[in-house]
Amino acid sequence: MSVQPGKTIQLSPTYRLQWEQAQNMFVLLYPEGLVELNQSSAEILKLCKDDNTLSDIVSVLEQKFSSTGLEPDIINFLNTALDNGWITQ
Amino acid sequence: MAGSPNKPSPPRWLLAELTYACPLQCPYCSNPLNYASIDKELSTDDWKRVLKQSREMGAVQLGFSGGEPLTRKDLTELVSYSHDLGYYTNLITSGYNMDEAKILELKKAGLDHIQVSIQASSKELNDFIAGTKSFEHKKTVARLIKKHGYPMVLCVVLHRENIHQMKEILEMAIELGADFVELANTQYYGWAHHNRDQLMPTQQQLNDAEVIANEYQVSQKGKMKIYYVVPDYYEGRPKACMNGWGTTFLTIAPDGLALPCHSARQLPNFDCPSVNDFSIQEIWNESKAFNYFRGDAWMKEPCRSCKDKDKDFGGCHCQAFLLTGDAHNADPACNLSPQHHTITDAIASAEQPTEQALLFRNSKNSKLLKN
Ligand code: SF4
Ligand code: SF4
Repeated sequence: MSVQPGKTIQLSPTYRLQWEQAQNMFVLLYPEGLVELNQSSAEILKLCKDDNTLSDIVSVLEQKFSSTGLEPDIINFLNTALDNGWITQ
Repeated sequence: MAGSPNKPSPPRWLLAELTYACPLQCPYCSNPLNYASIDKELSTDDWKRVLKQSREMGAVQLGFSGGEPLTRKDLTELVSYSHDLGYYTNLITSGYNMDEAKILELKKAGLDHIQVSIQASSKELNDFIAGTKSFEHKKTVARLIKKHGYPMVLCVVLHRENIHQMKEILEMAIELGADFVELANTQYYGWAHHNRDQLMPTQQQLNDAEVIANEYQVSQKGKMKIYYVVPDYYEGRPKACMNGWGTTFLTIAPDGLALPCHSARQLPNFDCPSVNDFSIQEIWNESKAFNYFRGDAWMKEPCRSCKDKDKDFGGCHCQAFLLTGDAHNADPACNLSPQHHTITDAIASAEQPTEQALLFRNSKNSKLLKN
C-alpha cells in the first residue's frame, strides 16, 4: 500500500504510541505486540493524528530538524506503517 | 545470588499466570502436569509488588493468563493497577463464565485487549476438546468483546482433531469480528507432551491447513491479521527460544516462581527463584536460572560452531530436555541435532492413528499422574 498525499493520516485505533523511560525510546503497543521505534520513526508516528496529511508531516519535521528533502524517507516509512496496519488513512 | 558482569537487556514482556485453576480441561494445556499439587497462590499485594517492580525495570506488555485468570477475584483490581502503571494489558482467557458486566468492568479498569480461545469451529468438537460445554457461550462472549470496542485476538490451538476445520475456523473468526487470529499449532510441553501421539497432525493435514491459512491471509489483508506458524517439528530448524533466554520475557507462575520461559519449571535441579524471596531486579539480573542460557557459553556441538546460533539460540532448551534428557543439547527439532530422529520418529508414528484416549487436564488426572 502507499500513502495518499491528500488524505489525513491517523494512528490505527488498536495501536498505542508510548514513551518508555526505562528504554529511553518510544514504543508502539498493540494486542500482544511491541515495536521499539528509533527516533525518526517515532517523530513521524507522533504526527499521525488530527488532520495531518503527508505534506503537514513533512513540513513540521523539516522545520523541527531544520533540514530539507525529508519527504522520500517519510513516505517510505509511512508506506511500511500502512502495510503493517499501524496507521490508517 | 552470584553477580553477573554484563547487565542483561531489561524484560519487556511480563506474563502473569494468576492461577492454575481452570474450568476447562484442554488436553494440550501447557501448564505443568502436576499443577494440582501447586496450590499456593500469590496474594493481591504480592502481584502488585511484582507488577510495580517489573514495570520499573522496563516491562510494558503484560499478559494475564493462567489457568483461567477470570477465576481470580482480584483480576479487575490488578488490571486497574497495571493500567495506572502504564502497561499495555492483555487478558488471555477461555471466556468461560465471562459476562457483559465483567467485560464492561474490565474496560473501565483500563484493559486494553482480550484474547479468547475457541477449541474448534463446531459445537461438538469444541465441547469435547474443552472437556466442558462452552461453545455457544464463547461465541457470545466474543461478540460482546467486540461490541464494547476491544481489539480481539481469537486463538485456536491446532492439532490432529481440529486442524481439518481450518476453513470453518477462519470463517468463524470473520463472523465474530476478530482483529487478529492466532492459529497456534500445539507445542508439546506439559499436557500436550503427554498427549502427543493423539495430538500430532499428519503431514498431509498440515500441508492442507497451510494452503488454506495462506489463502485467507491474502484475502483478509488489511481486515484481519492471521498468524499461522508452521510447527517446529516439521521445519527442520528450531524456533528461537523466547527471543533469547532472559532477554525479553518474564513469566511469573501462580505460586510466585519466576520463569525465563513458561516451561522452565520442569527442568530438573533448575531452582527457579521465587518472588517471595527476591525482587524482580535480583531475579532478572542475578539469578542463576535467568543467567543460565544467556549468551552461548553453555552450548555444546553442533550449536557451538553453528552459523545460526545467534538466530535460534540452539532452539528450545525445554524441548531438548524433554526429548533428549539434557537441556544443553541442541533442540532435536533441528535436523543438525544427533537426536533429530526423536522428532522424525514422532512424525512417522503420527501417520498411524493411535488407540490411546486423550488425557484431559483436570485435578484428578494431575494427581493420578503424580503417583
Ligand atoms: S545446530 Fe544449534 S544453533 Fe545450529 S541451527 Fe541447529 S539448533 Fe540452531
Ligand atoms: S526453552 Fe523452550 S519452552 Fe523454554 S523458553 Fe525456550 S522456547 Fe520456551
